[in-house]
Amino acid sequence: MNTKLKVSEISKIYPGCIANDKVSLEFGSGKIYALLGENGAGKSTLVKILSGVVKPDEGKVFLNDESIKLNSPLDAKKNNIGMVFQHFNLFETLSVFENLSIDSDKKNEDLRVLVNDILKKYNFKIDLDVPVLNLSAGQKQKVEIIRCLIRNPKVLIMDEPTSVLTEQETDDLFVSLKQFSKDGILIIYITHKLKEVLSLCDEVAVMRKGKVVSVSNTIDEKIESLANKMVGENLNTIKKKINNFKNSEEILKISNLNFKSDDPYETNLNNLNLSLKKGECLGIAGISGNGQNELFQILSGEIITEDTSIMFRNKEIGKLNPRERREYLMAFSPEDRISQAAVPELKIYENVALNNFKSSNFFEKGLVNEKKIKEHSKKILSNFSVNTDNVELKSQFLSGGNLQKLIIGRELITSPELLVCFNPTWGLDVGAINYIHETLIQINEQGKSSILISTDNDELLKLSDRICVIYKGKLSKIMSADTVTAEKLGILMGGGSID
Amino acid sequence: MEVQLIKIEKRNDVSRSIYFLTPVLAIFLTLFGGGIIFFILGFNPIEALKFFFITPISDLYGLSELLIKATPLCLIAIGLSFCFKSNNWNIGAEGQLIFGGVVGGGVALLFYNHDGFYVLPIIILSGAIGGMLFAMIPAILKTYFNTNEILVSLMLVYVAKLLLDYLVVGPWSNPEGFNFPETRQFSESARMPILFDGLRIHAGIFITLIAVFLSWLILYKTYLGFQIKVSGFSLKTAKYAGFKGKTMIIIVFMISGACAGLAGVGEITGPIGQLHRNISPEYGFTAIIVAFLGRLNPVGIIFASLIVALTYLGAETAQIFLQVPKYTGQVFQGMILFFLLGSDYLLFFKIKFLGFKKNEL
Repeated sequence: MNTKLKVSEISKIYPGCIANDKVSLEFGSGKIYALLGENGAGKSTLVKILSGVVKPDEGKVFLNDESIKLNSPLDAKKNNIGMVFQHFNLFETLSVFENLSIDSDKKNEDLRVLVNDILKKYNFKIDLDVPVLNLSAGQKQKVEIIRCLIRNPKVLIMDEPTSVLTEQETDDLFVSLKQFSKDGILIIYITHKLKEVLSLCDEVAVMRKGKVVSVSNTIDEKIESLANKMVGENLNTIKKKINNFKNSEEILKISNLNFKSDDPYETNLNNLNLSLKKGECLGIAGISGNGQNELFQILSGEIITEDTSIMFRNKEIGKLNPRERREYLMAFSPEDRISQAAVPELKIYENVALNNFKSSNFFEKGLVNEKKIKEHSKKILSNFSVNTDNVELKSQFLSGGNLQKLIIGRELITSPELLVCFNPTWGLDVGAINYIHETLIQINEQGKSSILISTDNDELLKLSDRICVIYKGKLSKIMSADTVTAEKLGILMGGGSID
Repeated sequence: MEVQLIKIEKRNDVSRSIYFLTPVLAIFLTLFGGGIIFFILGFNPIEALKFFFITPISDLYGLSELLIKATPLCLIAIGLSFCFKSNNWNIGAEGQLIFGGVVGGGVALLFYNHDGFYVLPIIILSGAIGGMLFAMIPAILKTYFNTNEILVSLMLVYVAKLLLDYLVVGPWSNPEGFNFPETRQFSESARMPILFDGLRIHAGIFITLIAVFLSWLILYKTYLGFQIKVSGFSLKTAKYAGFKGKTMIIIVFMISGACAGLAGVGEITGPIGQLHRNISPEYGFTAIIVAFLGRLNPVGIIFASLIVALTYLGAETAQIFLQVPKYTGQVFQGMILFFLLGSDYLLFFKIKFLGFKKNEL
């Protein structure tokens, strides 16, 4: 049975961003296809279109030369397109078999026979009658795969399937996927991990900024070439003048820091070491989900660690909470503007009061010093050109760019010695991005240091003095920014090594 | 099979005035629903509602009774608003009330033959401390052992009830009381002063009014209030701002427990004058409705407590004049909460009908 799947001129536009720009691709059964790209490159949108979750604005999908309509996930199922999402959609307290029977119209006895056949054929070892919560991540994923296999899929789409798997489980998965492919199932494998593409897939399509930038056979590719295509070489930005900080005073030092999380969706951090000089900007690159969140929280004090593991201006601060760290002149701008850095339902001046510590005097003897907070807020609004002068305005009425200016302003108005920011320009328009970049360059010129955790490589190369990459909770060697190229970053971000 | 597809979407901006008006709407819907129930039971709905909501407060005595019921409801709800605003779900105010009553009552019995201005303040204070300590159990278990405060605080209600039961039947029962499950009547110095001759309204109302004012001050003018507000919106933000989350949880439980304990001590030194098995007609649970009906706002809670207090009185009059059980009052309280939650849902979400679609798998 030959299956041909073709997407033709697919476009999908979200407000402020083109997720898919005339994407055309062809797939045929018997091969495993990789869809490779950074976060936000448009892979997920394309996959959601193929699985009927999102409707394209333009373009068509053809299955065996016939145009098909995918208005809902049901349509995708009808057309034998199966999909395994990154996060599992299973009822934890139901048994494996009950999970499988929920969306099957087969009789239970027939279904059991069918499932047992599948288990035998692909050598899956899963007890059908235990509750799903007792399974490992790899086994849960197999349940999801079986759920697709029951329907005799022609196409099987896997969305970043290895992000929660161990090495061994990943190997097992690859063996199964190769077997499915031999059995005639067309497999589309979405990933940003370069090594996986090379070891598993036959063909690779690279997406960048909503467009397909290359389609090639994996045999012809190397980690470097794929990395290059994935991150692009359009580095036409003005780079910051890179300084040599050899003789400057050391302001922050992290030594042998480990973090182990109880949450399987969080990343453990292993043996982190870094140091930062006065006036320096250290960029930390990486594909999101590799430990950036955890690293930010460790720096901000939301996660506390051993006292001695973090030294800031010669003081041990590992056990201090964010408020206490602000006392030592640290400032933090988290990634999530709307549910962490600010509360949209609160007024502007109330959000400014979040950056409080003893010397800010926003609260005196336990009472709110509203006058002081408002004065301070007015200063922030004008100094950081936020598009309003009304401190009583609820923050939800600010645009993303203005809210971010308010947050950065709030953090910087106290003249901190170190600003830690995490994806500060995520989702902003060009004007706001430039403003924030200029601000970040300015603070370095004033002799203040910054740590920039970002998934935007252009931004990192533009602003950093030194750069390292975080991958699976480990930091790469820290490199001087003038020796780093986008290609090198891409390799490290995909888990490869350089030199 | 054709099915109607429905989608539920969050509304982005909810106007503040409508937010405070929906409780009023919920009250009107409750009246309407109550009317229907009376109609089904064979009464003239208008007449029945009049018995329920107008007759009880048509004289001074009625108004005084209304305030007597509203006093503990308002006080407990004020305390609960601290917990609820900061996302701590203290469901056990009833237990904290009873425990406060037990501690206060114990002290009152201890001072059985004492006279002196200091007796009553000591009793009140010990009642507040009792409620506070009892509320700290779920708070400490939550912060240090990660237990669910809803379950713990609720289960502790039964602990407090059984403790009270044991005390009034056993060690504290009135030696001259022919084995009735009650303590001695407290001495005069242990009773709340009556405000007007012939009415039961007592000085406990001032405690409630002071609590309302203090809660407004704390919630809107202090650092603690700011922390409570931020934590209520986003725990992530609270953590990022460096608020001491554990300390705050314990403080809001302490405030809430102290208020419930004060309400308990107000009951036993006020209208009741002794300890017996039923010192509270579930004020601690009803106050949860009061807190939400009043939008967790001190002034809103005053109005809400008066309205809910009226359902207690109405149920009593209805029992006399219409021969319906007094539990009708709880039906009305339930309806208020039901309609409030229902209108809130429609206030914060809109329902979209996406048309009919064939249902296939």
